[in-house]
Amino acid sequence: MTSSRREALRRQQAAQAKQKRLTRIVIAGAAIAALVLVAVFGTILVQGMNRPTTASVPVNATSAKDGIIVNPGKPVAGAPVVQLFVDYQCPVCKSFEGIFGPTLKDMASKGEIQLEYHTMTFLDTNLRNDSSIRAGIAAACSDNVGKYSDYHDTVFSNQPATEGTGYTTDQLRREFAATAGITGADLTTFQQCYDSKAMAGFVNGTNDLASKSGVNSTPTLKVNGKVLENKTLPTSNPAQLRDLILAS
Amino acid sequence: MFPRTEALSSARTWHDWASLAGRLILGGVLLVAGALKLPNLESSVIAVRAYQLLPFDLTRPLGYALPIIEVALGLLLITGTFTRIVAISGGLIMVGFVIAIASVWARGISIDCGCFGGGGEVEDGIAAYPWEIARDVGLIACAAAAAWWPPRLLAVDTWLFAEPAPLDDLSETPQPQTNRSQA
Repeated sequence: MTSSRREALRRQQAAQAKQKRLTRIVIAGAAIAALVLVAVFGTILVQGMNRPTTASVPVNATSAKDGIIVNPGKPVAGAPVVQLFVDYQCPVCKSFEGIFGPTLKDMASKGEIQLEYHTMTFLDTNLRNDSSIRAGIAAACSDNVGKYSDYHDTVFSNQPATEGTGYTTDQLRREFAATAGITGADLTTFQQCYDSKAMAGFVNGTNDLASKSGVNSTPTLKVNGKVLENKTLPTSNPAQLRDLILAS
Repeated sequence: MFPRTEALSSARTWHDWASLAGRLILGGVLLVAGALKLPNLESSVIAVRAYQLLPFDLTRPLGYALPIIEVALGLLLITGTFTRIVAISGGLIMVGFVIAIASVWARGISIDCGCFGGGGEVEDGIAAYPWEIARDVGLIACAAAAAWWPPRLLAVDTWLFAEPAPLDDLSETPQPQTNRSQA
């Protein structure tokens, strides 16, 4: 072999080795990038598709479909809109109902306020069950048979002592319905509604719209869109809540 | 990719160990943080929302994507694959976390940072912010170490980016081995 041929061969081999190194790096980089991208976008797509978007809406839903009006037809002109954001598994919401529920319902029945309940379901995520959404679906179904307020109260008064125990299907579709006074043909309608899960999209929507409006914890009370901080509420004299609401 | 002088010296220096430690600490934390969040992605979405920083519609995709990206970056760092760009990405994510925590702190919002799962509003979250920021700054230092000094110990990169062995040994006389092939 002459030295010039050897030199040419050497250069060719060096170039090939360099090319091989480059190919190796590019392939590894592209493979890793592709894997990560597929994982990310695949997850976003799949999880997104799993969210129900069924379109049944309770008869007394707000026009924004972000909650249910407790006292439809009652509010006098110009009555303040009072929104209560609750999760059916939230223990503080149960205490809140116990303390302020009577005042709110009294004002609602007199038409002094438009009372709305906005159901949230984030405790399902925290507690890793599905009781909040199922209770929310059941409550939405109870509105279609005219027993929303009663059913709502029944769920809270039967909330399990231990957060996370949740509600059984039998409780939601039979026991609570009976306590709330849903009977006969109404009971059949209610149970069909619950079984079909047709309200799931609506309840997911009320949760998302609540988050979107900045409500990240329950209970939250809003009057005409403004939050009344829980610590400023007259816990020891709940009747004062009336003045507080009418003054704001 | 890395300075030639580094590739030519053979002795293990403290640079190599610092790079390895930075990689393993940052990678380990990212891997654990991501893996804890993966089984409950809806929870991750709630954690992102609690910061009240992003438009609502972006919180869902980000909540799903973050744990996956954390796991991916963690695995790549631990194995020392594309170390420099991955360490820089990990460091930038940590910078983002520091900004996010500082922002909720400044706004007086009390949340669980959701760093290792969980998240959302809590009663006394603010007390934890200084420690969380300090931890993330420490992780930024780890990212800097892993990005600054080339990974020469236990790293896929030593194979992936290995320069071809010099081919001037076509002559009959054996050449002394260079240290590069041992890296």
